[in-house]
Amino acid sequence: MSGVDLDLIAEITLRTLWVCGSALVAALAIGIPIGIALGGRGFAGRGLVVSSVNAGMGAPPVVVGLGCYILFSRSGLFGGVGLIYSQSGMIIAQTLIAVPLVIGITLAAVGALDEEWDLQVRTLGIGRGWRLWLLLREIRMGLLAAVIAALGGILSEVGASQMVGGNLAGETRVLTTAIMMETRMGNFESALGLAAVLIGLTFLVAGMLTAVQQSGRIR
Amino acid sequence: MRNAPLGRVALAAKGLRCQLGSGSSSFSLEVASLDLRAGEVLVILGPNGAGKSTLLRALAGLERSVDRNAVQHGPGPVTLVFQRPATFSGSVLFNVRAALLGRRLPEVERRDRIARALDRFDIAHLADHNARTLSGGEIRRLALARAFVLEPAVLLLDEPFDDLDAEGQRQLSLDLQLAIAETDVAVAMVTHDLRRALLLADRIAVLMRGELVQHGLRDEVLLRPDTPEIARTVGMTNLVTGHVVRRTNEICWIEISEGFEIPTTADLEIGCNAWVGIRPEHLKLDIGRGGGQPIGKANVESLVSDGLATVVRLRSRDQTFTTHLLSGRGLARRLRPGDVVSLAVEPDNVHARPIDSEGV
Repeated sequence: MSGVDLDLIAEITLRTLWVCGSALVAALAIGIPIGIALGGRGFAGRGLVVSSVNAGMGAPPVVVGLGCYILFSRSGLFGGVGLIYSQSGMIIAQTLIAVPLVIGITLAAVGALDEEWDLQVRTLGIGRGWRLWLLLREIRMGLLAAVIAALGGILSEVGASQMVGGNLAGETRVLTTAIMMETRMGNFESALGLAAVLIGLTFLVAGMLTAVQQSGRIR
Repeated sequence: MRNAPLGRVALAAKGLRCQLGSGSSSFSLEVASLDLRAGEVLVILGPNGAGKSTLLRALAGLERSVDRNAVQHGPGPVTLVFQRPATFSGSVLFNVRAALLGRRLPEVERRDRIARALDRFDIAHLADHNARTLSGGEIRRLALARAFVLEPAVLLLDEPFDDLDAEGQRQLSLDLQLAIAETDVAVAMVTHDLRRALLLADRIAVLMRGELVQHGLRDEVLLRPDTPEIARTVGMTNLVTGHVVRRTNEICWIEISEGFEIPTTADLEIGCNAWVGIRPEHLKLDIGRGGGQPIGKANVESLVSDGLATVVRLRSRDQTFTTHLLSGRGLARRLRPGDVVSLAVEPDNVHARPIDSEGV
């Protein structure tokens, strides 16, 4: 890449949004129900599960990437599925990074509700579906925090994307892996352009979510 | 308290057993039989840890360890208002409306019910306020409005007057009384406030250590408690022991110390040991105007007034007694600690039971 190729930056940005967005949706779909279940119920071994989630929240993406690489590579358990050096593989790796964040923050939001919240809603005779709607409504600030944390975590990670995606041009190259490559090649101008887009994206997403969060607080 | 005939059974518990926790911290609740009737208020009394709140939860179907068949109720919702009611984020109106989520009601009826519930507990003017900014008393009113919007057949109340000041308690109990009378709802209420309980109760149930030890009409339990422990719980604070020394006509005389005899209409054998219970409002300071049989003299130990009633503590040798006077009038103004007064009672108002295994 010589100079700044805007078309290429746009292509990489769109791919980044697709991969990270898909991983975020998957992480929310998996993490929120688990977080709600863990936050609301006491069961044997809950402490161990919560400790594992907390440890997972701080897991280095490169270690998650290594684990995925071993599983997805030809000789790995899922070698035949063709996930290595694919966008699907990257989405799975990023989902694994984001899920503990979503679970941990959802769990904390549910835990912050009144201890008897669920019983108090049940005694009003509200059906299960509406109870879930009320609960999600009550913890919406926590859920927004989970979205911000998860998106921030996967937008900025490079280790897992590099190892599982392989930074293939036109295939698995995303903003973080492209910045690393351009820097190594000495194309600082391109690296800085890509970095500006990444920072802009991070600010845009975080800003939008914070605005929603603030408006919800005032209502 | 009402004088209407008994309503239909709205909820019946039979063979109710509830087990909480395990090992040394376990707690079990057992109720052989208990029913709630439409338009009637059952007040559940008992010391801390007796299982009062657990019983309410069991009746509400919220305790998993309770057999589903142990509690049966007729048509209409059964709802419980918790001691610390939770509010949903949003307006007071949303909080009341939320109770009707998922119910198929015409919008007009939905609005009517919500407006009635808000009016009933005098929070219509707070409809647009954020529920999180309400005071403790307003949250209680909101919780009651949220319960009444369901038009419940059975309403279970856990300490509805907790943390309210005297005026707040008075207002809320009046509103609650009116709402119960208008809706014919069956109510079971747990409260520590004996005075409020007595104002509202049609029947009283006493729980001790997870067991329903006495249950009956209000005055039956207040005036004829089965044990000294129950007597204390229902406010019969003058408890002494003695033995029956003589009988004249329908009256037995129980000597509690030399020269100090208490008359009772209870049927007791001469010579038997008995415990005696007198409610404070039934122990009179004899000032020579009749009203009761004189029973002995006592020294005034202390007088404490809350503005309405003056609680007088008295001592006669090693026995202490308590009586209530109307504050600011007559004896309540004249008495001083150390004064000697004569005590008197009506034999009808003296509850006595032979002592078996129960001590005082």
